[in-house]
Amino acid sequence: MSSDNPISDVAEGVSKGVLEWTKENILSLLQKLKDRKLAFIEESKTIEIVREQYRSGEAKFYQSYINDKKLLFLVKLGLTLRKLENDQERLQNLRGKILQKHRIDGLHIAEFVQNGVLNRYVGILLEKLNSIEKLKEDISYILNNIEKHTIFVQGTSKKSEIIKKTDILVNSHSPEIFIISGFKSAAKIVADSIDSFKIILKDYEFERFSSGEKETLFFKRKI
Amino acid sequence: MELISLKNVSEKSKLLLLRELGYSSDGEFVLNLNGEKVIDKYADVPVRLNNMIILPGSTLILDNNELSIASYIEEFGDVF
Repeated sequence: MSSDNPISDVAEGVSKGVLEWTKENILSLLQKLKDRKLAFIEESKTIEIVREQYRSGEAKFYQSYINDKKLLFLVKLGLTLRKLENDQERLQNLRGKILQKHRIDGLHIAEFVQNGVLNRYVGILLEKLNSIEKLKEDISYILNNIEKHTIFVQGTSKKSEIIKKTDILVNSHSPEIFIISGFKSAAKIVADSIDSFKIILKDYEFERFSSGEKETLFFKRKI
Repeated sequence: MELISLKNVSEKSKLLLLRELGYSSDGEFVLNLNGEKVIDKYADVPVRLNNMIILPGSTLILDNNELSIASYIEEFGDVF
């Protein structure tokens, strides 16, 4: 099937929709691989998506304010999740990989970024900014203690359970900022529970962010 | 760096490529010299023949997913 002419081989492959490589083609490609001039990939889109997020202004911003490498990595994965929102298969695949490798805490950090919650959280911190060092500390604190300050509502969550969990977390940790976030079907559950949250969090100022399929509630403790 | 897509490359060519690198396949997964499945060191998943990435350096074979690519960039920098 293959000849000594790589071009005709490629042409033959293209006409059939499948590329055939000769041993000579492969040895030539492997030399480039060895020289670090080439890589093989099933879909180059995967690399493009990741690189785009790594080079984004948002990634660069957080690079300046997050020193912990693992946290910063999860933030970048969160940006990648956001980029994949229009491709459910890839999105779910990456969520699964993050969950497997970084457990539920890691996935929640990435989702915190994906849903734009970290950006808004930083916005709140900036409103009362004392120093860059304090901002760095606060960002690391929220990411490292995300389960104490945030409820990620699932589509399968029951309203009564979320309200009970909110009550427990708020009374146990008295967070300065408490967040309730839901995506897709969970967004409706969050929206339908606002009045109940306001009763539990009566000492907090309330801010609501709804965008498309996302619903995020911020409660800021009154000083 | 030049990126060669494996999407339209025949299975026969992929097997030949793996053989030259010292690997093989059972038709579904990439296998090492001992006939064991090659595990993506970042995502901890076996690498499938139809979804692999071969990266330079110490010839790293990974699963084609965003977490593995991001991990590679973390370790080796953006070499692409």
